[in-house]
Amino acid sequence: MRSVLIFLMFCIATSTFAQSDTTITLQAITGLQYDLARFAVKPSQKVTIVFKNVDDMAHNLVFTQPGKRLSVVETVIKMGDKAQATNYVPASTEVLAASKILIPNSTETFSFVAPPQEGVYPYVCTYPGHGYVMYGAMYVTTKALPPLSKDANIPPTRQIDAPVEIVSPHPFPLEYPLIYRTFMPDCGPAAIAVAINPNHSYCFDAGKCYLRYAWTGGFVDNTAHWKGNGNALAAIKGMIYFKDKVTYPLRIGKADKLPEVHFKGYSLQKRLPVFSYTLDGVAVKETLKSLIDDSGLSRTFSFGKPTQQTLYFVTQTDDGIVYKSSTGKWTNGVLMIPKGTTQLTLTMKRQTATHSVHHH
Amino acid sequence: MTRPISLLRYFLFTFFIVSASTCVVIAQRDTITNYYETEQIKLPKGLRAETGGLDFMPDGRLIACFHLGEVMTYNPKTKVWKKFAEGLHDPLGVVAISNSEILVMQRPELTRIKDTNGDGIADVYETVTDDFGMSGNYHEFAFGPLKDKEGNYFIALNVASNGAGIRPEIRGTYDSLSREGRMYSCVPYRGWVMKYNVKTKKLEPYASGFRSPNGLGFDAKGRLYVSDNQGDWRGTSPLYHVEKGKFYGHVASLIWEKDFPRIKPLSLPVEKLDSMRTREAIAFPHTEIAHSVTQPLLDNTGGKFGPFTGQMFIGEMDYPRLVRLLFEEINGQMQGACVAFGDGTGLLKGNNRLVFDKNGDLWVGHNDHGWVGDEGLSRIHWKGKVPLDIMAMNLSSDGFELTFSLPVDAAVASNPSLYKFQRYYYKYHRPYGSPKTDIADVAVKEVKVSPDGKKVSIKLAELKAGYVYDLKMGELKTPNGQLLMNRAIYYTLNQLRK
Repeated sequence: MRSVLIFLMFCIATSTFAQSDTTITLQAITGLQYDLARFAVKPSQKVTIVFKNVDDMAHNLVFTQPGKRLSVVETVIKMGDKAQATNYVPASTEVLAASKILIPNSTETFSFVAPPQEGVYPYVCTYPGHGYVMYGAMYVTTKALPPLSKDANIPPTRQIDAPVEIVSPHPFPLEYPLIYRTFMPDCGPAAIAVAINPNHSYCFDAGKCYLRYAWTGGFVDNTAHWKGNGNALAAIKGMIYFKDKVTYPLRIGKADKLPEVHFKGYSLQKRLPVFSYTLDGVAVKETLKSLIDDSGLSRTFSFGKPTQQTLYFVTQTDDGIVYKSSTGKWTNGVLMIPKGTTQLTLTMKRQTATHSVHHH
Repeated sequence: MTRPISLLRYFLFTFFIVSASTCVVIAQRDTITNYYETEQIKLPKGLRAETGGLDFMPDGRLIACFHLGEVMTYNPKTKVWKKFAEGLHDPLGVVAISNSEILVMQRPELTRIKDTNGDGIADVYETVTDDFGMSGNYHEFAFGPLKDKEGNYFIALNVASNGAGIRPEIRGTYDSLSREGRMYSCVPYRGWVMKYNVKTKKLEPYASGFRSPNGLGFDAKGRLYVSDNQGDWRGTSPLYHVEKGKFYGHVASLIWEKDFPRIKPLSLPVEKLDSMRTREAIAFPHTEIAHSVTQPLLDNTGGKFGPFTGQMFIGEMDYPRLVRLLFEEINGQMQGACVAFGDGTGLLKGNNRLVFDKNGDLWVGHNDHGWVGDEGLSRIHWKGKVPLDIMAMNLSSDGFELTFSLPVDAAVASNPSLYKFQRYYYKYHRPYGSPKTDIADVAVKEVKVSPDGKKVSIKLAELKAGYVYDLKMGELKTPNGQLLMNRAIYYTLNQLRK
């Protein structure tokens, strides 16, 4: 156990992120719907689906080729009584993978390899009558997904950004922006989770002093972390659209030298945190705001006094983000911030996924 | 002319009261509720009252922090709870600096939290110090802060548990030397008491050898005491008098000692470790008096909380009680006895945090997180009458001298069969906890009651250093029938009088 953990530490420190298998747990829930209206996998990734039927009706789960949901649903209807023998799944190249019909309170696990072509692959319950409303979208992509409210691939009732009202676990109502210092995945142990609004959140590493990742679709669920011994991580609610894969983005003097950082805390402006930290002794204040439609982040860096050295902001060019800066010059994803800068605003707008919607 | 009448009235009145109270004593057993009462404070809706810290602001408002990261104020006059701060990571201690500023110890750092715009809600969260490691292991709790006279802060850092691993990303320099233990310290300075020096603004390592130091407090002379929990290298729960540079027995933290050789602490012989360590000032015999002691607190109420002013109390998690501490200095070292307090007052379990208010009431913050206990907040109030209790247990050359709060009935107290002594010790070793070891009854040779009835000297057949002396007494009482409230007391004899 110990050596595995140490090994993991080194892996994360030294290697980039390798292609890995993924497991998706998907439930058929009450109201002719799946609990997940959509999820994303990478091209050619091995996908294991744990499909649970927690509804009180029978359901299946059928993945189809892009745009073929209704075609498959109608083929099954035409099969009539014969369809039951094949779990309501037609022998068709339009079907990518499928479960059996699951009776209530049963589970089936099955695996397939995601297609190499990026696209939106529908999933649907083909039990007669269900397929027109009970469906969702598997995105095969490495890019960020469109906002839920603008995603025509999921049922209209699920095209809402704000999660349903969350009951406050505190003796006061939840107000946004909202902050939790908690244990977060893919972050150092001194982590700060911030919900700018109920839909748009990010994780700031208070040990390493930088934005680790951002997501939309909700905030965090601390239930598991707050009970028992506290070993559990907070669970992210929603989909991560940006992850900083650069070891540390801000550099002083040289673009390839990592600065020594110290976290100094934060102040709140109308509940929105303004982080304070130092980079090689240079005082920085950083404020992160949401762009319109939660399409990304606007990050303002203020320096205590005009910078005396050139600063660099290093990005990874394939991270699904379009960067714009109020000052400085970009070269191969590295922003050079000239001496004498006192404030800099960096917008990080996410690229939206290619839509592969074929209307029927 | 009126004076003799008044005096006569006074005597008659006093006589009536004394007879009345004597009648009550005869009719009903004398119990602790005649002296102390406990009230549960009504909590705000939606609060999971797993209390991590308590203090009072100068204006009399209570400030309390809770496991889910909330910091709340409570006004005892209006009984109104208000949010002060939120979003903290397992805050386990709070100190009020002013009516708008506090210090909180949370998992990742010591934080100064301020309301700068006067709306009653904090808007600044400044990192005072985060200059210690975190492996991400759940057991790395952080305790304190405790403010000294010069304004420095003491904090205490738990070691990690092998019940879980560490995270892929950690804070601080990794060192695997102590990973084999049940509890390990793989980042600095886990298992240490640390001092934040306000002048240098640096966090300095102060003393090593701790496991789960969930409680720091000063006595009347400013001596620092830190509690710990039964576990590996902890035969039973201890309380240490902590001095700079000393090692207090839990071995994992040794690796961060300056100039400590590159060896696994667990590879050192127990005898060697035993010779390096400083023993606890008080051992709390497991299940006899406590399971898991918490915060020590000085009674500085000047008598508003009863006769125990100048003494210390300590919280206890598993039993509905506190424990009272009776120290003495022998050969330059602190050692002493512990006795129960609060049994039968209606106190809950999970007595994690203690603080006195200006009126001398003792507030108790409860906690049951991951442990036996209760949730909530209680207030213990002294009703003004002195109970019969043990005020001191002092080592003599051949036994002990007990001092009582009231004169005892000499006819009863002079009977040697009233005092049953046992002695035993707890092993200092790697396994979790220790049984009572080398248990033996110790014969009482002679008992003398002082002329004023307040002291009882007991001569024992044998006194041996390195043992707990466990005294169980029969029913002692005052001449007017007040009963001894706590009849068991445990003296940790590290040093014999030279």
